[in-house]
Amino acid sequence: MFKNHIKIAWRSLRKQTFFTCLNTIGLAIGITGGLLIALFIYDELSFDTMFTDAERIHRINVDVKFGGNESKMAEVSAPMAAALEADFPQVELATRFNTLGSTLIRRSDTQRNSKEDAATFVDDSFFEMFGLKLAVGDEETALSEPNTLILSETSAQKLFGDSKAIGETVVLNNTGTYTVTGIIPDMPKNSLLRDCSVFIAMSGLEDSRTDEWTSHNYATFIKLSPNARIQDFQAPLQAMMGKYVIPYAQRFFPGITEEAFIASGNRYELSSIPLTDIHLHSDMEAEMSANSSVQNIYILSFIGLFLLVLACVNFMNLSTAYSLKRSKEVGIRKTLGSSKVALLRQFLMESGLISFLSLILALFLAILVLPLFNSLAGKAIEIPFTSPSFWAILLVSTMVLALFSGWYPAFFMSRFMPISVLKGSGEKTVGGSKVRNMLVVFQFSISILLIISTAVVYQQLNYIQSKDLGFTKDQVLIVEEVFAAGPQLHSFKERVSQLAQVKSATISGFLPTPSFRTDTSFMKEGLLNQEDAINMQIWSVDHDYLSTLDIEVLAGRGFNRQFAADSTALILNETAVSILGVTPEEALGMRLSRDLGSENPRFLTVVGVIKDFHYESLRRGIEALSLQISSSNDAMAVRLNAGDFSAAVASIENIWNKVAPEQPFNYRFMDDAFNSTYEADQNLGQIFITFTILSIFIACLGLFGLAAFNAEKRTKEIGVRKVLGASVGQITLRLTKDFLRLVGMAILISLPLGWFVMDKWLEGFSYRIEISVWVFLLAAFMAISIAVLTVSYQSIKAAIVNPVKSLRTE
Amino acid sequence: MIQIQNLKKSFRTEEVETLALNGVNLNVAEGEFVAIMGPSGCGKSTLLNIIGMLDNPTDGSYQFAGHEVSGLKESQRTQLRKGNLGFVFQSFNLIDELTVYENVELPLIYLKMNKSERKQKVKAVLERMKIAHREKHFPQQLSGGQQQRVAISRAVVTNPKLILADEPTGNLDSKNGIEVMNLLTELNQEGTTIVMVTHSDRDSHYAHRVVNLFDGQIVTESKNREIGAMV
Repeated sequence: MFKNHIKIAWRSLRKQTFFTCLNTIGLAIGITGGLLIALFIYDELSFDTMFTDAERIHRINVDVKFGGNESKMAEVSAPMAAALEADFPQVELATRFNTLGSTLIRRSDTQRNSKEDAATFVDDSFFEMFGLKLAVGDEETALSEPNTLILSETSAQKLFGDSKAIGETVVLNNTGTYTVTGIIPDMPKNSLLRDCSVFIAMSGLEDSRTDEWTSHNYATFIKLSPNARIQDFQAPLQAMMGKYVIPYAQRFFPGITEEAFIASGNRYELSSIPLTDIHLHSDMEAEMSANSSVQNIYILSFIGLFLLVLACVNFMNLSTAYSLKRSKEVGIRKTLGSSKVALLRQFLMESGLISFLSLILALFLAILVLPLFNSLAGKAIEIPFTSPSFWAILLVSTMVLALFSGWYPAFFMSRFMPISVLKGSGEKTVGGSKVRNMLVVFQFSISILLIISTAVVYQQLNYIQSKDLGFTKDQVLIVEEVFAAGPQLHSFKERVSQLAQVKSATISGFLPTPSFRTDTSFMKEGLLNQEDAINMQIWSVDHDYLSTLDIEVLAGRGFNRQFAADSTALILNETAVSILGVTPEEALGMRLSRDLGSENPRFLTVVGVIKDFHYESLRRGIEALSLQISSSNDAMAVRLNAGDFSAAVASIENIWNKVAPEQPFNYRFMDDAFNSTYEADQNLGQIFITFTILSIFIACLGLFGLAAFNAEKRTKEIGVRKVLGASVGQITLRLTKDFLRLVGMAILISLPLGWFVMDKWLEGFSYRIEISVWVFLLAAFMAISIAVLTVSYQSIKAAIVNPVKSLRTE
Repeated sequence: MIQIQNLKKSFRTEEVETLALNGVNLNVAEGEFVAIMGPSGCGKSTLLNIIGMLDNPTDGSYQFAGHEVSGLKESQRTQLRKGNLGFVFQSFNLIDELTVYENVELPLIYLKMNKSERKQKVKAVLERMKIAHREKHFPQQLSGGQQQRVAISRAVVTNPKLILADEPTGNLDSKNGIEVMNLLTELNQEGTTIVMVTHSDRDSHYAHRVVNLFDGQIVTESKNREIGAMV
């Protein structure tokens, strides 16, 4: 029986090549999309699960509100780790990271630096915490001595080639010398340590031994003992505030209590997050690496599911439509004694066969488009062909798919009554068109929803990229790690500024693109209490900062070399001024100090107020910011004149190579750096557009097949109408109209739904567009156009047939 | 074998109710060959479908080999039909995707017969119907007469007690038509009961008895004296 089913299935599929192709291609596209999305999601969900006892590792976070500023930080204070270990028996181990960010590194016997994306100081409990093993070296001793470090295999290879690295010395950022004590395999790509390639012994970092409880610079991980529950840990964790933080703060705010601190609207809340949740559930300041959002996972899951459902719906629709041609066979089989179950089995076998063919095609398609998908998604996903569980899941999913898409047609066909179908009245009585119409409406609703989503995502991204940011990001080149020029740095700036292609240049590591950030609390003169403190970003800049970045001065002036007193001057942004409760003009001359608890505080005088500019993602608002003249040699921003940028870059590089020979010349453009902040959104946008096109394509395949079937079914009607004088246009319109009605219904369903869903998405942005009516008109117009194009081909084809021929075929 | 009493069948559309059979009484004995005749729309095919258990009557009684059939569920009718009944249609109704051999094999598969037994039976019946040389062909590669021989092979391969033929020569030329009727006669002579619907006077002469239907009722019944008079 089984063999007979297979045979019949194969032959009937071969006989209806057009239908089989439409179904197989539609389903294959659905499976390909679903497969790629599933691999993407699997990769996202697997983050940090490879570490030993990952489920017992948690990171400590702090949420601070102080002086009008709020910060949710992935880093806590230096003494926190030791206190946690000492105070809580359930804390088995604690490990801190203090990240250096991108770092220049060289062998001590050469001046030639190379760049590592991330170096970090780390406690020697690091290996035990994450269950990591060194490729070369001893985990027990590798990070126990100050001024030692371990290198990733790749960086060791880069620095030392095949020669032995252990025992050699390297220089970081042209300052400290370290001995290499270990080589560690490269960190897994799907871990939060993926960018780290240099791990430096924490014991060499003086700051790590500080007792400063209010300075948050250490990513701190704890491992709980096997039976401890993290839920039981929250209350004692918060008690650390009263036990350690408040007593420390009393040094600056004598008499301050926990109650008074909270009563004045401030907050200091400690929390923890499981290591394996960080990648998808943490979006804090000072994350060790860029995280994703679980929202994206939900969105992608929906898209993947939509795609598969669309393909299944196609299958159902085409199968039930074409089943009319199979009605005679059903009648005969039933007459000869076949039961309904046997017929169900047979038709399910056919859907199984199509699903299997689609699976094979989908695998080929997936291999073909994987590189493109990886670049869209910013991933390096591979298809796990060698994994038996991959194949098992794939085969089971395909079977589920076959059952899901095949059950309705099978059920539908097995219900045909033998007398009616054998008498030839089958095609008129079989029906099922209501369900088919509903399915078409469903498919188009999803497609329109995706069109709306794509349009809104792109409009929002466009809005962000063209929004007035309060500074000009275009034509600005950022030269990175300029400290490598050492004493020649200022000469480098002078010479670059003199280039004809250059308007101005400024040296500062604090830029309105991802770069350094520091915040601190300021006191107003005469008001040295915590209630009146204001917490602000404090950025070290030079005299050319405002002019180079085109930042507008609202009151007072920018920094000026003519004023010697500018070394104690401060410039505030609008937000800072409004937190101080004064107008920009009133703010001028105000004296603020950051020397909390000092007998003789040093005051800075406000000399200017600048317009707010966006220095973080537009998802966040603008917070209080102050600028002061101070040295920060990490980067130099160069505003270029319009013209040949590559020539300008070449000229600047030329100067660099003269002032800093053998030092790497790293640069990027500020607008690229700015756009990188929205990389996840842009990836999402691109994924949206790709899958929207795919879903529309699948819906069109279905519609095309249905239109073909409909035209064929109505051959006689068309012939009679033509004989009676109908024109080709009238007939085409008649055949197309029915489908347009369905698309119209889909539009009515999907427009409000689209508005609701995308309005929710936009709520995540502090600065967002309002969804314009044009988006809906565009989506409706596109859906109608696509439907008309798809259907009219078949309609016109049917309408131009000679009626004599069409009547004869009946 | 067949006892039908006061059989009624009505079809209801949205507006009208049509009485296709209106109190039919008919008995068919084992080994009999009965022809049902009448003008178009008189209810011939409806009666044949009910006898063939493809449809249920609206009212009345139908007993097949002592079993009451009216009121049975579709699945129960399918069970009773399997192996007991063979069908021959005007338009042959072969499955285009199956070869001659596979078409004939199909009812045996539904009877869950094992493969070697099936093979033996199919081969035998194809030999007998002189179509064995075409066993690997598909229906569309055959002439009408050949297709009907395949259809008859399929109807008899299970050794049914009853063969129901719905205008079996309607789509055939006279030569092929005669061949088909001779085959049916031969089967009848071997003991198979046959009920045949036909428009053809010539074909009706092959039957032992002719039942004339008009407006859903049997109006006349006549016996043929000489079987195979037209041969």
